[in-house]
Amino acid sequence: MSGRVFSVILLPTSECNVACDYCFEHKEPHRLSSALLPLLTKRLLDHLENERIEECEIYWQGGEAMIMGPDWFRQAGELMDSAAEKRGLRFAHFLQTNLISYTPAWNDVIHGMFGGSIGTSMDYPNVHRKLFRGGAEAYTKLWTQRLGEAKSAGIEIGVIAVLHKASLEAGPEDFYRYFTEELGLGDFQVNTPFPGGPAKQHETDFSLDLGELAEFLVGLFDIWIERGYKAGVSLGPFDGLIDHFTGKQARLPCIWKENCSNQFISVDSKGTVAQCDCWVTSYPEYFFGNVFQEPDLTRMLKTSRARRDFVERPKRLVRDEDCLSCRYLSICHGGCPVRTYSALGTMMKKDPYCEVYKAVFACAEAHGREILRGRIATAV
Amino acid sequence: MSQENYPVIRILPSALAETPGDEPFAVVVRSRDELCRWLREPPSSLSWLQVEGILGDSDAWMEAAHSGSDVSLDLILADPSSEFPELYKLVDVSAVHDVRVTIQARPGLLKAVKLAAALRFPIRLLPGQPKADVLAELKQALDFYLHDPAVEAPVEFFHSWIARTQGADVGSLWMILEEDPAAYVHYDIDGQTKISPSGAVGSTEHLPAEFVEDHLKSLLEQGAECATCPWQQSCRGYFKWPDRAYSCQGIKDLFSVIQGAADEMARDLASCVLQSANPT
Repeated sequence: MSGRVFSVILLPTSECNVACDYCFEHKEPHRLSSALLPLLTKRLLDHLENERIEECEIYWQGGEAMIMGPDWFRQAGELMDSAAEKRGLRFAHFLQTNLISYTPAWNDVIHGMFGGSIGTSMDYPNVHRKLFRGGAEAYTKLWTQRLGEAKSAGIEIGVIAVLHKASLEAGPEDFYRYFTEELGLGDFQVNTPFPGGPAKQHETDFSLDLGELAEFLVGLFDIWIERGYKAGVSLGPFDGLIDHFTGKQARLPCIWKENCSNQFISVDSKGTVAQCDCWVTSYPEYFFGNVFQEPDLTRMLKTSRARRDFVERPKRLVRDEDCLSCRYLSICHGGCPVRTYSALGTMMKKDPYCEVYKAVFACAEAHGREILRGRIATAV
Repeated sequence: MSQENYPVIRILPSALAETPGDEPFAVVVRSRDELCRWLREPPSSLSWLQVEGILGDSDAWMEAAHSGSDVSLDLILADPSSEFPELYKLVDVSAVHDVRVTIQARPGLLKAVKLAAALRFPIRLLPGQPKADVLAELKQALDFYLHDPAVEAPVEFFHSWIARTQGADVGSLWMILEEDPAAYVHYDIDGQTKISPSGAVGSTEHLPAEFVEDHLKSLLEQGAECATCPWQQSCRGYFKWPDRAYSCQGIKDLFSVIQGAADEMARDLASCVLQSANPT
């Protein structure tokens, strides 16, 4: 077996119980049938064996994954783990949820199947995450209540925040204070928005001035270094970048991998396979195939014409774009294909957030250098 | 490590390596079939596979990534200018095998060095007898190696040359580049030994074990510039093979830059040691 880990972003449903403005997913009331789960599991395990990979990380997302209910997950986890164990393989499960339908009934499955931790999402300020009834304010109130309940149950929570215009207007100081002091979180990350799928119609609402975005992120980075880094607050992707620039093994987000096609796929409730959740929910022209209709996932990935573009992309970028002359090529590789595709209609260009990434990388490099100097001074 | 302590490695074309024996050897593979054959059933004495001419073959690398063995791979880039983007094909296989990228010093080498470094592959640059344009790229590659934070893995021969200036026993440039026939015996398809610095095949009447010393002695006897070269002990006439008339001026400039960097590093280290001893 190789030391590689393969990841699957698994969408057991496209349904969702909230109505966020910028959601790029095509929502429909479809759920992964328990009857099909053994077949999906078999396909994944066959692929692991073909690839000589021992472990598969399953990132359960949606739609809203909790719509499936805790019992469904308990049974799914048992079925998948048991099947993997029989073949000397293993699954590791992770859950990303909006927390809105969290109840204590979830505690056992979260502490068991998901190792006691889950991921959720919230923005600051929240103006775009909305309940069907009650809007953003009601969403924030209910989500904050659920967060408190889950934390009280001993569940570790990581939060993803998508930046938008109001975030930049609020500034990094208030943003950081909200997550660390008001919510009491020690683990959160910031994402850049992109106009995928149905949300594209709101493109102008969510497009950010890149200079302002870079300024915000650099400001947030500085604040985190000053107050959070030594205090153990994990703020992605800054923490991974600091690991990189201080010589540690770094786990950087998928948008900066050498080639994301080597690392993961996404499968939706109908068995559709694509590169990631963004592709599987938004861009049928880039579907790789269907895992329930094609008997061999390995062969599907190997022969998919759509997937070939993902494999070719980094090669094209170092040949045709200016990525090769960038001092941060080793930690970026041209950025995210879906961010590029959703903005430019082709993935064979570098990520439109290039200048923002460079500003963040330069900030991380400077802070990393200071940290190393501090260590040397202490050692001397 | 002293030269006499190096184990002798035979580097054989795949067809000649079928009954290798117990002595360490490396195999040159030039097709997917050859690559997969040696990855499938690697003998214990197989030290590495030297892979030539199949970087563009996606299926070969896919199969290599799935192979059960962990034999090290040395990927030869003969035309770095056109081949360098294909280095991305090695990302998967590098999770299973140690991969080194060997780059022939030809136009485009800097692109290959930059991408190989970004992918964290150790690099061996085979300089041969570089012309002015390639020499200019070698100097840029040296600057990249010395100053770019993206470089995490060694870039040879720069890396060992600097180590040598700090007292490391890495042998001569021939040894650093794995081209000293006393330790690395290259065979052609007819089973004849060959001297193959930087891929340029040249035959010799000297015994492999004595080739480098005989070559240098002969150069000195003929009044070659090696006689007064400050780097003669490290280089041992490497750049005078196969064309003895090759002018080393550009190479000497390159060595001067390396020496300058090595001196700077030595001063920094000494200063650090001094501060440790006298913290106030």
